[in-house]
Amino acid sequence: MIDVARIDHWAASGSGPFHRASTPAKLLFLLFVVASAVITRNPYSLMAGYGLLLAVAAASRLPWFRVMGLSWYAALFAILYAISFRGGGWLAALFIVKAITPSFAMLMLIVSTPYPKIFSLFSALLPEILAAGLFMTYRTLFILLDMMDNFASAIRLRGGFSPGSLYKNSANISKGIGMLLVRAVERASRLYAVMVVRGYSGSMAEKGTVRFQREDWLPLGTGMAVLMLVLIWK
Amino acid sequence: MTHMHIPDGILPVGLWLFGLIVMVLAVGFSLFQLRGMDMVRKIPLLGALSAAMLVAMSLEILPIFYHINLSVVAGILLGPALGFLAAFIANLILAFMGHGGITVIGLNTLLLGSEAVLGHTLFHLFKRLPVFWRSATATVLTLFMTTMALIGIVAVSHIDPELLSHGAEHGHTGQVSVRTFAIMVVSLGVIGWTIEAAITGAVVRFISQVKPDLLDHALHRDKEGKQPRGNMP
Repeated sequence: MIDVARIDHWAASGSGPFHRASTPAKLLFLLFVVASAVITRNPYSLMAGYGLLLAVAAASRLPWFRVMGLSWYAALFAILYAISFRGGGWLAALFIVKAITPSFAMLMLIVSTPYPKIFSLFSALLPEILAAGLFMTYRTLFILLDMMDNFASAIRLRGGFSPGSLYKNSANISKGIGMLLVRAVERASRLYAVMVVRGYSGSMAEKGTVRFQREDWLPLGTGMAVLMLVLIWK
Repeated sequence: MTHMHIPDGILPVGLWLFGLIVMVLAVGFSLFQLRGMDMVRKIPLLGALSAAMLVAMSLEILPIFYHINLSVVAGILLGPALGFLAAFIANLILAFMGHGGITVIGLNTLLLGSEAVLGHTLFHLFKRLPVFWRSATATVLTLFMTTMALIGIVAVSHIDPELLSHGAEHGHTGQVSVRTFAIMVVSLGVIGWTIEAAITGAVVRFISQVKPDLLDHALHRDKEGKQPRGNMP
């Protein structure tokens, strides 16, 4: 399960060195790690890179253990893909580490950067409807998660969840999702009305600016170190 | 295929670059199709349904721990153009949660977005069926086709001689078996398609009973009240 609320809490409440770095520097860090994963043909160098990321995350007081667990989701496709190659353990290890390393770097970025900061950079690149759609999705997401939590509690209290009964669970979840969708549309319309009253005229995202600062040495240095590791240890 | 998000670093560079280019073209085409619509009203709607997709993805159905994604529902409710944009937004946010890669965001969006487009198209093709079966059939066929597309992507990606030759240096032959991948994905997918179809059918039936105007795309009309081409039912 994707715990969006927890990720948002980590991003907004942390104060470690990774949190203090600028968003463009962290995006460059991500770019370096993704480039490393794309170019490497050696699982050991990328494993070392993954280890380095773990160490930096722990030293920066990021929730490294939880982030590590989340990064392993990406391994699912990699494992199936590796099996289809019949390339043995070496190739499987390469595919898995290629999948989890960029995923870990991405998670390091989002658990240390509030979403509005990331989206404001996107707003400079994306068309208005997409940039604003991202913001609106983010705003609505937490409202809907809260509504879904209430729905889950209500249905449990009324005996609607039965472990092992797929038919009953699916039927109840379907009704919950249907209700959620209807309410999501109603909320969106109400939100729209409020935004218009407050002067919304199609543009809402503050454009992000690229500005580096002293604290950026950590993400930039880490990203470059992973890339160098992969380039040197072929 | 639903719930199979391709991560970074695995597919050949040419393939994910191709995916990014096609995605940019598809997003551009969707925006072009939506040009006549009242964008200011559509942005909250787009956000609400993209958020609903993300919330649905965070739900697990016990006892098989299956995630649904509601891409077909989004396609049916939003129309193909706006549905594709919703898929793009959902994918972008998922990528930022480590749930699918950045470089492959093009391919992942094409897969999820094609579910929205195909779902909408098939839903309107089966007009004679009751709403539940109409949406359920559209979902199964859509997921079957997108799973085939995923297998196609994997088949194309196996043409990566550099990777295979490097594997051979370490004593591994790297024999290609798309068939193995297809068998695994389809056998896992069949259970998923059935659940997704049942839920999609029930959700669309519920909406048709309590808020039928959503299925008529009443919210998608432009400022003059005309139905835009990208969202014609």
